[in-house]
Amino acid sequence: MKGLLKKGFNWLDSLFSKAFTPQWNPMYQLGALSFLYYWVVAVTGVYLFIFFETSISGAYSSIEEITVGQWYLGGVMRSFHRYASAAMGICVTLHLVREYAMDRYSGPRWFSWVSGIPLLWLLFASAIGGYWLVWDLQAQYIAILTAEWFDWLPIMVDPMASNFLNESTLSDRFFSLLVFLHIGIPLALLLGMFIHIKRVTGARSNPAKGLAAGTLLAMLVVSLWRPALSQAPANLDVAITEVGLDWVFLNPYPLINSWGPGQTWALLVGLSCFLTIIPWLPSKRAKQTPVAVVDPDNCNGCGWCLADCPYEAVSMKDHDFKPGHKQSVVDPDLCVSCGICAGACPSSSPFRHVDELTTGISIPGLHIKELLALTENKLQQLDADTPHIMLYGCDHGSVVGKLESGSVATISMPCSALVPPAFIDYVLRKGLAEGVMIGGCCEGDCFYRLGNTWLDQRFSKERMPILRTRVPREKVRLRWLGEQGTAELGREVEEFQAYLHHADEEEAYYG
Amino acid sequence: MDKARRYLGQALLYGLFFLPIVYFTHLPTHRHLAQDLAVLKIAVRHAGQIIGECTPLGGAEYDKLAPNMKRPETCPRERHPLQVELILDGDTLYRDTVPASGLHSDGVSSMYQRFAIPAGAHHLTLLMNDDEASQGYNWRLEQDIELQPAQVMVASFKEGFRLQ
Repeated sequence: MKGLLKKGFNWLDSLFSKAFTPQWNPMYQLGALSFLYYWVVAVTGVYLFIFFETSISGAYSSIEEITVGQWYLGGVMRSFHRYASAAMGICVTLHLVREYAMDRYSGPRWFSWVSGIPLLWLLFASAIGGYWLVWDLQAQYIAILTAEWFDWLPIMVDPMASNFLNESTLSDRFFSLLVFLHIGIPLALLLGMFIHIKRVTGARSNPAKGLAAGTLLAMLVVSLWRPALSQAPANLDVAITEVGLDWVFLNPYPLINSWGPGQTWALLVGLSCFLTIIPWLPSKRAKQTPVAVVDPDNCNGCGWCLADCPYEAVSMKDHDFKPGHKQSVVDPDLCVSCGICAGACPSSSPFRHVDELTTGISIPGLHIKELLALTENKLQQLDADTPHIMLYGCDHGSVVGKLESGSVATISMPCSALVPPAFIDYVLRKGLAEGVMIGGCCEGDCFYRLGNTWLDQRFSKERMPILRTRVPREKVRLRWLGEQGTAELGREVEEFQAYLHHADEEEAYYG
Repeated sequence: MDKARRYLGQALLYGLFFLPIVYFTHLPTHRHLAQDLAVLKIAVRHAGQIIGECTPLGGAEYDKLAPNMKRPETCPRERHPLQVELILDGDTLYRDTVPASGLHSDGVSSMYQRFAIPAGAHHLTLLMNDDEASQGYNWRLEQDIELQPAQVMVASFKEGFRLQ
């Protein structure tokens, strides 16, 4: 099931990357898009609230006036308000399913997963409250069924549904309460969204500008083409027979009527509980390797690992035995064993004058010393005539092991950003290989969030530790193609070898 | 050309994303109630009779009370639950006991039910007992009613049953 979902998302990722480029790919920014849609709903909501009348007779007529009387602005605002909320609902759902399919919900990531579940309830409550305010046939349907649904709970003293018996039992104060809820619940949602992203470094809450502009333009076109309209006004003296429903948010409502309130509560609460415990359910996924370990002897307190950790698992404290110095500390509850910190450590350099290579911080599963030994061993075994390539990759992206050959040595690790830039310098300077290639997850969709971004920045000298200027850049390639791009990476390796071969020939010819 | 194709692809994908949103915001319509049905709602909010009677406070009990709490008699607070029954054309649609609200069962009893019933002529009987000490029902309404399709009829209680 999960594998099938992953294949589906990989296919969608490739499709969207072709049309949008990886930087604008909406599949990599579902969370950020949800934030964007939230702000669109908030801003348009403020505008609509200015003209909204909180009374039985005024609610429907004021919305109609906004929609028809000022269709060019108020009508568009209303359509944005509705379509952005629906788009947010879909993005949030896709975000949840995608994170599940890509195995990004367990271990230290449980917090983001679990804190997202109440947000689903708050999102639905916010949207349903909005539909209620319009006070048309759909609102009447929602009002009666919501009241009956809540009346099932033993906490209700007076049945809420008694407020909607007929037109004479409805009060203007009810609309004031609804407006209060329709502002309060989205604010609670915003607070929840803040908590949801609290434990991740540099959480992306703004989508790429081009993507944001595109989705706003698309929404404008849709709003002008099919503006959001009310249905006939509510009339509690007449029963609803047939009603148009927003199926994005109101899909549980027919169940309340056909199954009954108790069963619907059981289904939705049960589903929420099930989603909540998913991170702790038995799974076939590989067990997390031991967390990063700091070696105080080799930690100079530079803080580069702190800056690069995607999960805020690293902090600094006073050095154990060097007065006035700092030292890194790893929080084992937050560490995901990605090894990005080891790649960031300036001590992870094979050029250091030490008897045995060691570093300030590393993951026990693949110590920097072992990575160096593995690199040297694998490259020494290459015997083909074509240019030798050292291909590093990650366990979650392109499957580099499939590309191993007599001229290509491969090493897969938890995250490609575990490779310190000094390693590339070392491999090329020592003549162990003619070229170095690094593959991994798709661009903008790193399994450990920021691995390929950090590596790109290290190689373009925007982030420490940098790839030194003396390294011939044409002999180093970074390719973020993901698991689905393994075959393409193979073709790129061949093309890289052909390029290096051609460059060698040119050098031999021209000197 | 590549750029143009990419923008065209984006337009198509935006369309594929927003078209279902536009469609599913109101379609397909949902049939909530068959066309030949009407709705009968019953809502009662009424305090049952107090269980027990007031008893005079004896001299010793009276003396124990604080000066500002002195009173000639003490009265129980607990109220009887309501027995409510709805009979339509001889069939019992609803029969239940509605407890008094509050931690000490001293508040009002409230109930609400909604029924979808065939439109047309019916004989309606509403019964309620708010004092378990008395036998049978001490509140009653019997009436012939005529319901149009989709009509909402409300049976409520305020010093007796009434239909709206």
